[in-house]
Amino acid sequence: MTDQSIRIVNLPVEGMTCASCVNRITRFLDRVDGVEEANVNLATDSATIRFDPSRTDVAALVSAVEAAGYLAVPPAEPSAETGAGATGATATTDRVESTNSERHLADLRRRLAVAGVLTVPLLLGLARMTVAPFLPAFLADPWLQLLLATPVQIYAAAPFYRGAFNALRHRTTDMNTLVAVGTSAAYGYSVAAILAPGFFAVAGRTANAAPPLYFDTAATIVTLILLGRFLEARARSHTSDAIRRLIDLAPRTARIVRDGAELDLPIGDVVAGDIVLVRAAERIPVDGVVLSGRSAVDESMVTGESMPVTKAADDGVIGGTLNGTGSFTFRATRVGADTVLARIVRLVQEAQGSRAPIQRLADAVTGIFVPFVIVVAAITFIVWFVAGPAPAFNLALLNTIAVLIIACPCALGLATPTSIIVGTGKGAEQGILFRNAESLERLRSVTAVVLDKTGTLTEGKPTVTDVVVGSAAGGLTDEALLRLAAAVERGSEHPLGEAIVRRVHEAGIELPAATDFNASAGDGVEALVEGLTVRVGRAGFVGVAVEAALLGQAERLAAFGRTVMFVAVNGRPVGLIAVADTLKPGSAAAVAELHRLGLSVAMLTGDDERTAGAIAAEAGIERVLADVRPAEKAARIRALRAEGAVVAMVGDGVNDAPALATADVGIAMGNGTDIAIEAAGVTLLRGDLGGLVTAIALSRATMRNIRQNLFWAFAYNVALIPLAAGALYPFTGWLLDPIFAAGAMALSSVTVVSNALRLRGFRSPAAPSMPPSTFREEYSR
Amino acid sequence: MNQTDQGTLVDPVCGMTVDLAEAEAEGLVLDLDGTTYAFCGRGCMLEFRDDPARFVDPQHRPSM
Repeated sequence: MTDQSIRIVNLPVEGMTCASCVNRITRFLDRVDGVEEANVNLATDSATIRFDPSRTDVAALVSAVEAAGYLAVPPAEPSAETGAGATGATATTDRVESTNSERHLADLRRRLAVAGVLTVPLLLGLARMTVAPFLPAFLADPWLQLLLATPVQIYAAAPFYRGAFNALRHRTTDMNTLVAVGTSAAYGYSVAAILAPGFFAVAGRTANAAPPLYFDTAATIVTLILLGRFLEARARSHTSDAIRRLIDLAPRTARIVRDGAELDLPIGDVVAGDIVLVRAAERIPVDGVVLSGRSAVDESMVTGESMPVTKAADDGVIGGTLNGTGSFTFRATRVGADTVLARIVRLVQEAQGSRAPIQRLADAVTGIFVPFVIVVAAITFIVWFVAGPAPAFNLALLNTIAVLIIACPCALGLATPTSIIVGTGKGAEQGILFRNAESLERLRSVTAVVLDKTGTLTEGKPTVTDVVVGSAAGGLTDEALLRLAAAVERGSEHPLGEAIVRRVHEAGIELPAATDFNASAGDGVEALVEGLTVRVGRAGFVGVAVEAALLGQAERLAAFGRTVMFVAVNGRPVGLIAVADTLKPGSAAAVAELHRLGLSVAMLTGDDERTAGAIAAEAGIERVLADVRPAEKAARIRALRAEGAVVAMVGDGVNDAPALATADVGIAMGNGTDIAIEAAGVTLLRGDLGGLVTAIALSRATMRNIRQNLFWAFAYNVALIPLAAGALYPFTGWLLDPIFAAGAMALSSVTVVSNALRLRGFRSPAAPSMPPSTFREEYSR
Repeated sequence: MNQTDQGTLVDPVCGMTVDLAEAEAEGLVLDLDGTTYAFCGRGCMLEFRDDPARFVDPQHRPSM
């Protein structure tokens, strides 16, 4: 579709709570005539809509969202991009969002600059009145000070007033309230003192009888707190570097062959099925399958595989990876928002925007803390005004303002999100995708890890090792047995079935046709082959009374860790096929590391006890859950949780989804296919268990970082409240000037952000990553 | 309807577990035919109100 006039708009949407809301809003939006595509994002509270401006407009879209029951804010400047961006809707949304956050940052910078510039002369005026009387007298002129302080209070401080007002509308108070009230008190009093000096006749700080003014106090507080907010916003945009780097991996153009001609197209115009040309040292634009040519591709940015991977016909390639010295053509399979890269970016963005449970705790604390502080401030004022020394009103005011400002828990709102952003970004760098902040948090408290066997602990590429024909088979050869079994298993997605088919292919044997195919999940498969009913599967499924000799063989093989499948023809067991699946190279080491981290490890498999036991022993796993049918996996996880363990389940996602969802933290291995990502809280992109060790270590480090931040957000502020209230005055004469209070506040913000950024130095304790195996092979299909 | 432990209910639309007290505080609780339903948010509550029969049906699987 090359309609030049499609517009894209990004609408912030309020009120969404879960994915049902997303579906509802999408439905209502899709119903609007002229809407091409509506993409609603829960984590970023926004909807990105592609629409035809000749048939509908933004107002109609806003109405649709409201009809669904939500609030949509029409944007001030709708973006008018034609066609999708580099990674499809993701990049467009991201560009719109980054424009929003860039605008926010620029806005903060402007206000900070204004406040800063105007505060300097005010502070000089303060200096003139106190420590530096040699400075020019006009600096202390009240009217000049009023002139300087007013724009600060009205323009620069406006966000605080807006925030306080919003909170008030919801009948709560927040940090904006504290700042607004504190600075307004200082400013308001100063204005009153200018206009009616006699009313406030006091001894004052200086020789002249005019009441002291606090314009400098108000302005400095505003400046310092704006500084804190600015630094926070800047830190936020920096910590999204991980995402930006991922997005930048995709090139802007691609060379396509269409109708025999070579064209350079913007990447947004590439569609699935296009033939793409890649030359040496170019970045691969989209996901696809190689058609011709040969080269080695560096996939490290996505899979972590440091050695370049050879690509030839029928191999899969991933958009964003770097081609080596050869050149090749490939057929595009996934483009735009469907590429692996786009999905990873989306996932990381959502995780970074999500709320961690611990943050709700912080929010709850803020909810009671702020009213508490207001009460303390009120008491401070009363006590000082009634019982304090002269000038009673001034001192009371000063101390009250100091209390309001010092207690401002601005950094509390920062403490968790900044660490989460850095933590999830760090994870993404190492191929660990956290679906949301909750997973990142929960992973830390895991006590037991359950590992699915096939594809997780093992390569998932079993090979046939033994074929045994029973004595009742009457002259059936090994080859013939394999042939029949393979015919039944042809098209089977089960790794064991695939192993049999592969073996037959390798031997060059032709597969006969099979009809009436029937599968019994976890037990076996059956089909009609050349007039014979053939069954392949467990002993029980396959038929009555497998002969003792065969069973004995099966046991012997199982003791070596083989998985045994029986084959029956027309109801009579005729033989068995044994299959071995090797442990991944890093598995045993990873299990040892997990033990070292204090976790208990269990293996979950459909294999029988003997086979499972052998493999578990090889991997060093102490607990085995064997003979578990796919349908029972979730129940076993539930049982473990009932025992009191906090369970992390690691599986390859496709048939493990219910079990992954039942675990406290579900962890998917492999290439991040839809099912894996949806069911699991964490996805290990690189397909090796070392990633799990890293993920747990990262989770622990992040939570530790968050706790540190929460401490710093509170610590010196709270400790200084008594000082601010003047509790030490009767003993030492110490008071806290509100200016220092604001300074301490900004300092706590800076401390928290710096501490969060420290997390960027996190190093994984696991052994250097083993070459990931499953990932590449998944893409060779 | 689906009462789990500790004063929580399962949202019949999306399957999320909802704290009953919190839901009540935010007006996200509905009573229908003598049964109390709690919701994770306005969206699910609106979905339910639009077509309660669909979600009350025992065959229905709450999902997102």
